[in-house]
Amino acid sequence: MASTEDKSANKEITSSWKDSFYNPRTGEVMGRTASSWALILLFYLVFYCFLAGMFALTMWVMLLTLDDYVPKYRDRVPYPGLVIRPNALDMSFNKSDPLKYAEYVQHLETFLRRYNDTEQEKNEDCPRGEYFMQDDTEDMTKKACRFKRGFLSLCSGLSDTNFGYSEGKPCILLKMNRIIGLKPRGDPYINCTVKRDTPIQMQYFPSEGRIDKMYFPYYGKKAHESYVQPLVAVKLLLTKEDYNKELTVECRVEGTDLRNNDERDKFLGRVTFRIKVVE
Amino acid sequence: MNLAICLLLQDDHEITIEELETRYNTSVTKGLTSTFASQVLERDGPNELKPPKGTPEYVKFARQLAGGLQCLMWVAAVICFILPVFMVTSAFSLQLYLAITLISVVVVTGCFGYYQEFKSTNIIASFKNLVPQQAIVIRDGQKNQINAHQLVVGDLVEIKGGDRVPADIRIISGQACKVDNSSLTGESEPQSKTPECTHENPLETKNIAFFSTTCLEGVATGVIINTGDRTIIGRIASLASGVGNEKTPIAIEIEHFVDIIAGLAIFFGFTFFVVAMFIGYAFLEAMIFFMAIVVAYVPEGLLATVTVCLSLTAKRLARKNCVVKNLEAVETLGSTSVICSDKTGTLTQNRMTVAHLWFDNHVHAADTTEDQSGQSFDQSSETWRSLARVASLCNRATFRPDQEGVPIPKRLVVGDASETALLKFTELTVGNIMDYRNRFKKVVEVPFNSTNKFQLSIHELEDPLDLRYLLVMKGAPERILERCSTILIKGQELPLDEQWSEAFQTAYMDLGGLGERVLGFCHIYLNEKEFPRGYAFDPDEMNFTTSGLCFAGLISMIDPPRATVPDAVMKCRTAGIRVVMVTGDHPITARAIAANVGIISEGSETVEDIAQRKRIPVEQVNKRDARACVISGGQLKDMSSEELDDALRNHPEMVFARTSPQQKLIIVESCQRLGSIVAVTGDGVNDSPALKKADIGVAMGIAGSDAAKNAADMILLDDNFASIVTGVEQGRLIFDNLKKSIAYTLTKNIPELTPYLIYITVSVPLPLGCITILFIELATDIFPSVSLAYEKAESDIMHLKPRNPRQHRLVNEALAVYSYFQIGAIQSFAGFTDYFTAMAQEGWYPLLCVGLRSQWENVHLQDVQDSYGQEWTFSQRLYQEYTCYTVFFVSIEICQISDVLIRKTRRLSVFQQGFFRSVKTHPKHASLGIMYLNSQSYSITIYRVNSVSVSFQWWFVPVPYGILIFVYDEIRKLGVRRYPGSWWDQELYY
Repeated sequence: MASTEDKSANKEITSSWKDSFYNPRTGEVMGRTASSWALILLFYLVFYCFLAGMFALTMWVMLLTLDDYVPKYRDRVPYPGLVIRPNALDMSFNKSDPLKYAEYVQHLETFLRRYNDTEQEKNEDCPRGEYFMQDDTEDMTKKACRFKRGFLSLCSGLSDTNFGYSEGKPCILLKMNRIIGLKPRGDPYINCTVKRDTPIQMQYFPSEGRIDKMYFPYYGKKAHESYVQPLVAVKLLLTKEDYNKELTVECRVEGTDLRNNDERDKFLGRVTFRIKVVE
Repeated sequence: MNLAICLLLQDDHEITIEELETRYNTSVTKGLTSTFASQVLERDGPNELKPPKGTPEYVKFARQLAGGLQCLMWVAAVICFILPVFMVTSAFSLQLYLAITLISVVVVTGCFGYYQEFKSTNIIASFKNLVPQQAIVIRDGQKNQINAHQLVVGDLVEIKGGDRVPADIRIISGQACKVDNSSLTGESEPQSKTPECTHENPLETKNIAFFSTTCLEGVATGVIINTGDRTIIGRIASLASGVGNEKTPIAIEIEHFVDIIAGLAIFFGFTFFVVAMFIGYAFLEAMIFFMAIVVAYVPEGLLATVTVCLSLTAKRLARKNCVVKNLEAVETLGSTSVICSDKTGTLTQNRMTVAHLWFDNHVHAADTTEDQSGQSFDQSSETWRSLARVASLCNRATFRPDQEGVPIPKRLVVGDASETALLKFTELTVGNIMDYRNRFKKVVEVPFNSTNKFQLSIHELEDPLDLRYLLVMKGAPERILERCSTILIKGQELPLDEQWSEAFQTAYMDLGGLGERVLGFCHIYLNEKEFPRGYAFDPDEMNFTTSGLCFAGLISMIDPPRATVPDAVMKCRTAGIRVVMVTGDHPITARAIAANVGIISEGSETVEDIAQRKRIPVEQVNKRDARACVISGGQLKDMSSEELDDALRNHPEMVFARTSPQQKLIIVESCQRLGSIVAVTGDGVNDSPALKKADIGVAMGIAGSDAAKNAADMILLDDNFASIVTGVEQGRLIFDNLKKSIAYTLTKNIPELTPYLIYITVSVPLPLGCITILFIELATDIFPSVSLAYEKAESDIMHLKPRNPRQHRLVNEALAVYSYFQIGAIQSFAGFTDYFTAMAQEGWYPLLCVGLRSQWENVHLQDVQDSYGQEWTFSQRLYQEYTCYTVFFVSIEICQISDVLIRKTRRLSVFQQGFFRSVKTHPKHASLGIMYLNSQSYSITIYRVNSVSVSFQWWFVPVPYGILIFVYDEIRKLGVRRYPGSWWDQELYY
């Protein structure tokens, strides 16, 4: 008794399921006739067009309020991050196998192309040791200070096209992130240390890893088109004992008010990378 | 089922006493021996009803965790546990959070529901009568008083008026023993019990008294033939456990709703799975998206909202004397379309009361209200004085002692129902009857017996100088009239001629037609010479005048309806609820009460009435013409279920009289077959199967037996039918308000989902994180959605028809579509506007955002450039992402303020309903605004859960959208109100 009841109920369900997709008696597809579908779709078309219009309008108004040169808020980037080139935090290569380090060399070469003399000759030769302020100029386009590749001397890739990788004394380039309006106080310089008991020799270019204040402040992509960031190259003078070992190097921006010990952000004013050179 | 019971019964009532003695190894004079009795006690167990096997507590708890919504959340939680297996990134802990939150929501709400159930079970338990019952038993030839539960089969027991029958008893000897069987059959008429076997059916025979019935008067001794669960009542109680419990309408609704949600979730998930595959994601990644979307679709906060709404209503009902055993029953009551109500005790006061008097050729109405607030009749007539004297003196009932403080209608009385009614009536009108009786010293009395059908007593007169005796007599009116030769009219004795006889007949018929029990009263002053003081009156021989008496009047009695019931029935009628009376009483009485309370409305006729009016045979009457119908249990027995369905369909006003408990079950089933949601009221053990079968069983708190309370879903603490109507009103309101609450809760699902969809398809940085979603679902949105449960009704809900469970769903297509694709869509746009604003103002233009995802989320890139050429570390980008979460969160919240305002009404304008009307009723609602203002500080504190403090002006970006929501919904409501039935109404009214 019960089972037959169930069966008839099941039948009803399946037929109603089929009907809900297409009901041949009323010509309904998914519970609506064609005209009903047309009407409701038209309604939604109008509705969403209106919404999209409103969205576009508000976006347009919002974009109008924005300044082309300076973002409205800069509170999310108060301090610059520190990054290295080649962009790899875990470097490992065989100094006698060019194929292994070609990638890094290639990367550095491309990166430094903007610092070629041909490019930099166009830029100003600014007075050293002071901010290059241009706030009061009428012109919105700002001039940029020259940073020649040659400043990096041994790590410029001019004299040694392999950036020291072939001799096992690799160059690492450090750059501070661009932040509009940033004016670091004091005399910023980069200092790198190896995290182990015995230090290794390092050479900084420009000397002492200094970052000159004339490269600040930055006026933004649109105003400061030809701007290049100041770089600091550090050449790790590894000796035989240091090969085949993984070295952890930490570099920090020192001598300024820029943060370099933030707990959350491990790249704020500092960078840690590992390097292993195989003989 | 009836048959099954009968087969189980023995022939104990048919065999001779001697056979009985040998069968139970007992003696009808000395009883059992104590040693044998203790052996039997050991064998059979104590004489008490085993409490019905309750569901074990852990099963009850597990049930709370296994509803439709709960299952949905379990599935989502499991997915959350599985997902991290495929994922390598740090999202692992997030998924784990999510899973744990989902599970704890289910468990916490489960505990809540369980606690609610537990609490109401406790209320029920407190009703249990803890005083052990005593019984007088004869063992070893000695009378002892022992605890009733120690009685065994074969014990010889004595019962007297006022006792509860301690077990099923075969009567051996008895004097004027009358038993109230109402707890077994629902019949309030006392049944006399005699030693003779009068019927082969043990339920009908007069020589068996049943367990749990009450002996009203007289004494009897009998041998116990059944104890404990083997008694008739015990067997009926166990029947209840065989009846399956119906699913509550709200459970069905929620299942239906879960189907919709699951369908949409899978639809969305699958669509975006395909889109993701198309865009070029790996299969595994697309699969993760699929599952994440399904999880995102689960409305986490809904379960809490529904539980809280229901329990709030349950609390409100409890204050109005309805205790709800299971939360879902609240709503069931609202969708009720048929109420099968008991008569005795529920519709009526359950006490015989004098309703009418006939003297001086007039029918006078007495005050039948519970609190004697009604009008009284003219008591100045001399005839009334005589009638009152007869009624006072010819009455054996007495008040129990020490009841001076108790109002007269509530005092306990020893005596049968009619005498009790007369005693209370005279006490109220004449006053101090006990004293009055003492003044008229009783000389002799002849008690009522079924051959005479009258009762008389002879008294000395109050005045010591008047040496006449006064004979007073009451009884069946026609018998009394036979003995009268004169009639009192305005204090004067007139000869009883044809004219007066006819007047008497009319009055008698009228009162009888009202379903009232009519008694005639007469008296005579005995001749002083013939019957001087000291005359030896012999009650058996009746050596005195018993004819040529003087007729004083008629008094009729009825168990009157409760004062609030006619109103309540009327309310039910306007609310489209049918009230069907199911009673064990006589059809005439049942009909009279039904007409009295409005179950049978004025002018409604039964088939028989029409036949009588048209003077045609009953068969020729078109059944459809008769609105009312009275069916007795006997007729019902011969009806097939189709015929019963037909009767219920054709006659809107139904009364079932003289029905047995099993028939009540049949009636309920028939109503359910016709698609009704049936509420059943009941008090007796015999009602428990019907209570269980009903969609909602309503037990009586005062008169109800434990079995009935166990089987019921709801308990009326005051036994008042009117309380059911309150329950219906609340149930309907909660259905409406739940709809609003759910609509509110569902809406934000879309703005919570679209960020993810846009994230997948357009590859923008993620606008809204999952912890923030949980924060919305489980923290900020709970109060507003619960506040909707306090909303007042938009229209008079008691003037609408009960909802058709197949058409008016809790969550219908219109509701889901309107919430998701219209209001939800607006909210999404608001969120994205605010999101893109926040991004752009921090330096990331909208066009740059598109396709930014892979760079943005790359942990190794510490110098990603924004539109202004600034470079951002990963942490800085993450911080910006959290800002976006918060901004999106704020947008949703702003829109939800608008949403909660529009959800206050579905049809009326918010201005018509009153903006802050519910603020007064619910302070939490008022604190809503403050809470939103506090969100700012919230967002700082929840920094750890991915939100950060945001600029104040981002709070204003979504405001236009909030206003749009409000205005759009007002337009919608206007259209719905102005053009009912139009396309707009059909598509947009939910």
